Amino acid sequence: MQNVDVMNISEEPKVNYLTNGFSLKSWLLTKDHKRIAIMYLITVSAFFLIGGLYAATIRLELLTPQSDLLESGQYNRVFTQHGIIMVFFFLIPVIPAILGNFFLPLMIGAKDLALPRINLLSLYIYWVGGILTLWALMQGGVDTGWTFYTPYSTTFSNTYVMAVGLGVFINGFSSILTGLNFIVTVHTMRAPGMTWFRLPLFVWANYATALVMILGTPVVAITILLLAIERVGHVGIFDPAIGGDPILYQHLFWFYSHPAVYIMILPAMGVISELISNFSRKKIFGYEFIAFSSLAIAVFGFLVWGHHMFVSGQSLYAGLVFSFLTMVVAVPSAIKMFNWTATLYKGSVSYDAPMLYALGFMGLFLIGGLTGLFLGSMGLNVHLTDTYFIVAHFHYVMVGGTVLGYLGGIHYWWPKMTGRMYSEFWAKISAMLVFVGFNLTFFPQFVLGYLGMPRRYASYAEELQVLNIFSSAGAAVLGTGMFMPVVYLILSLVFGQKAEANPWHLPGLEWRTASPPPTENFEKMPVVTWEAYEFGEDNGLDHEAVRGKELVEA
Amino acid sequence: MSHEHDYHPPGLQHQFEDMGQQQDSVTVGMWAFLVQEIMFFGGLFTAYLVFRSRYPMAFAAGSNHLDAFLGGLNTLVLIVSSLTMALTVYYAQKGKRNAQVILIILTMIFGTTFLVVKYFEYSDKYHHGLVPFNGLNQKIKKGHEGGEAEKSEKSQIVLPFETKAEASETKTEAGSETKPAEVHANPRGEFQWHDENGVKIVHEAKKGGYLTPYEQSGYYTNGEYDNDKFTQKVRIFFYIYFVMTGLHGLHMVVGLGIMTWLLVMAWRGTYSAEYYSPVEISGLYWHFVDIVWIFLFPLLYLLGRHFLAGGGH
Amino acid sequence: MTETHTDNEHIGIPGYLGVFGILVVGTIVTYLVALTDLDSKLFPGANTLVALAIAFTKMTFVVLFFMHVRWQTRLVWISAVAGFFWMAIMFAYTMQDYLTRGTGYFTP
Repeated sequence: MQNVDVMNISEEPKVNYLTNGFSLKSWLLTKDHKRIAIMYLITVSAFFLIGGLYAATIRLELLTPQSDLLESGQYNRVFTQHGIIMVFFFLIPVIPAILGNFFLPLMIGAKDLALPRINLLSLYIYWVGGILTLWALMQGGVDTGWTFYTPYSTTFSNTYVMAVGLGVFINGFSSILTGLNFIVTVHTMRAPGMTWFRLPLFVWANYATALVMILGTPVVAITILLLAIERVGHVGIFDPAIGGDPILYQHLFWFYSHPAVYIMILPAMGVISELISNFSRKKIFGYEFIAFSSLAIAVFGFLVWGHHMFVSGQSLYAGLVFSFLTMVVAVPSAIKMFNWTATLYKGSVSYDAPMLYALGFMGLFLIGGLTGLFLGSMGLNVHLTDTYFIVAHFHYVMVGGTVLGYLGGIHYWWPKMTGRMYSEFWAKISAMLVFVGFNLTFFPQFVLGYLGMPRRYASYAEELQVLNIFSSAGAAVLGTGMFMPVVYLILSLVFGQKAEANPWHLPGLEWRTASPPPTENFEKMPVVTWEAYEFGEDNGLDHEAVRGKELVEA
Repeated sequence: MSHEHDYHPPGLQHQFEDMGQQQDSVTVGMWAFLVQEIMFFGGLFTAYLVFRSRYPMAFAAGSNHLDAFLGGLNTLVLIVSSLTMALTVYYAQKGKRNAQVILIILTMIFGTTFLVVKYFEYSDKYHHGLVPFNGLNQKIKKGHEGGEAEKSEKSQIVLPFETKAEASETKTEAGSETKPAEVHANPRGEFQWHDENGVKIVHEAKKGGYLTPYEQSGYYTNGEYDNDKFTQKVRIFFYIYFVMTGLHGLHMVVGLGIMTWLLVMAWRGTYSAEYYSPVEISGLYWHFVDIVWIFLFPLLYLLGRHFLAGGGH
Repeated sequence: MTETHTDNEHIGIPGYLGVFGILVVGTIVTYLVALTDLDSKLFPGANTLVALAIAFTKMTFVVLFFMHVRWQTRLVWISAVAGFFWMAIMFAYTMQDYLTRGTGYFTP
């Protein structure tokens, strides 16, 4: 029973990471991964809000078939900026930089990330890139679509392509440095006894994400650099009129940007693995399979980028190969889904708010993933390319996957991060609203796309208005559901109950220190003697005993 | 590996338990960074691959206007600097301060030499209208005369290989041996391409049936050789040349910055057998930059050289 | 934590000089080979292939001895190889498009 003394951290430490210095300097020059994560949380949330406002504008415009709220040029900017902010400044950093930064060291029993100064640097790079992009948006923004396709972006667009491109370029290095830090930390900072196969699956997922960040992000950096030089110099390497090749840009861009999809979804899958196992109070089914499927996704994710280019003019042969490989990459995702389902089976499932998000994720990601298979089939793709079917598909994966995973994770770990419990009642309402609103928003878009409504237009055929109104109404519900956590989570900081060290009664290492944790994370170096997700008497975490205790208290 | 918590060796950061862990971490971190760098240059190499496979003759023609002698010289300079860097690490591990300082200074000297040679190469391209960005070349009002005397002098200095090669190659055309003929009017500083040899290469390749489909439509208009079209393709070569060597040069500049910092630290005698990982990872970076050049040299400078060396068809 | 190499000698000064010699010879050979026409003697592209083979050899020596990978952990080996492997992925899957253009419906 040597773990018990690690478990019973009844007395609160005098200084935790939040109370260790209050000056602005103590935050801006901190090397503490937890403080950096909190600063990321605030900034990324701000970007999410801005991106969300753009989304609201889009849905308002699409209430009517005519382009009345925005004219076409403005609409082009609005959807472009929605895409750029959401993809580069929200979806990519959100889980790794906030939850990963905060919990990866805690979960493996380290005092900090291996390279804390690099971690702080990545935050500053993110800020510089973000401010530059915001500045460009205020100047008038950019209208190329978030993909910056050439030769439109290099030759024709009169908007702030350079500034936004530079912002994305700079921001890329933030993501590279975060990934680098994670890789090093997982390799060298694990606590004694924390073997690779005792790592929580969230750590595996972030490790796989970090690999993609390191291997993919530099390519998009160089691509955007080439685009910028091309825009100034007009040498024409992307201009077919003078011997260049716009498809080369697409190859280079999607070499990163397809794996970037996995940068967004893999950490969310990690969160879901945590939630499913912990709220079923059952060791996760097929631990190794889930761990390796993360790595498999990271590797195979690099082999499928051409499925974004089926109608771009790449060769038929390449299209066939990419189409086939797209089917292959679905396998590891499916493995995860099956294992999560098997974990739920005969588990002791409790429907706390984080678990609601996790279950929502499973449903939405299933739809998103399966429609991805439709789109990966080259024949069907030619029919559906650039319609709302695509828009619906990737929102099912990105919002239904990443955002729900993130919301689930932030609820789940909120007591650890802040030492306060949020309002369970409002959290459940919010989770329901998000799920309902999401489906109302995006399910009609599958139908719209199948009926042939093209994406990226401010106006559409009149007979499609009913479904668009459904979609816009759903967006209002979704927006409400997503904004509610901002309110009740902030309120919980003041009015919330004080959280115990281990409010959910879980075996993970991050629950074996105080809430909020001290700056050094653990009072003394933890020694890990248990497997991951081990619920049982040995940990003092016997579920029946806990429930019995709750009954007595009631 | 000792676990004495009271003892805190110099240079150990708070998040680590011991020096071994710290050294492992920075080494792994540096290697992960180098992987990132490989992919960074990888994007450029992909662009190179695509365009070279498309317009091999234009690439060969453009490559012949690079100075292979200076390129080779720079390769040697970098290899020497790699050697001095490797020895720096060697002496840092032994904690020999003076040897470290001397070797770092030597490394910096060779690194600077590389950049100086690079500067001469770039300025030569500038004078010959070979910078692919319009307006960034030397603006020459009129060709053949008028203030061109010192220009031709300069180009003789920086082009030892090229002048030699041309002299040996163009024995039949005595006219092109006189240097001022090379100066062409370029009032707006545009990219310019005047090269009889390059044209000959293309014609021979066409005769031999070596041209790719892209080249057949890319160099010819209605079956006639079109110099404007060919110039565009050569320009792509120079674009890739400038971006690749420019980024490589940028890495050299960053490397020199790191060396300066390293020099200060080594001067203070910071590094010992116990703590030398900054030297080691700076060395990794330096060697990586060297490796990039090892590939850039044959891929940019040596294309189709045998056409000019007289062995060819 | 993990084991660190205690043998800091690696290959010593003569070893470093030897590697240096190989690199210099490689550079000169690269240059000389470029001046001879292997393309028509052997097969088209032979010049480039030989140049790249020499470059890879040189790189291997730098990586193994100057960068000490020879004595490093397996992780470092893997990351050194992974970079090139991923670059090869990028080359291969980009070129599978370019080299098969004109064989299907989308002719250039």
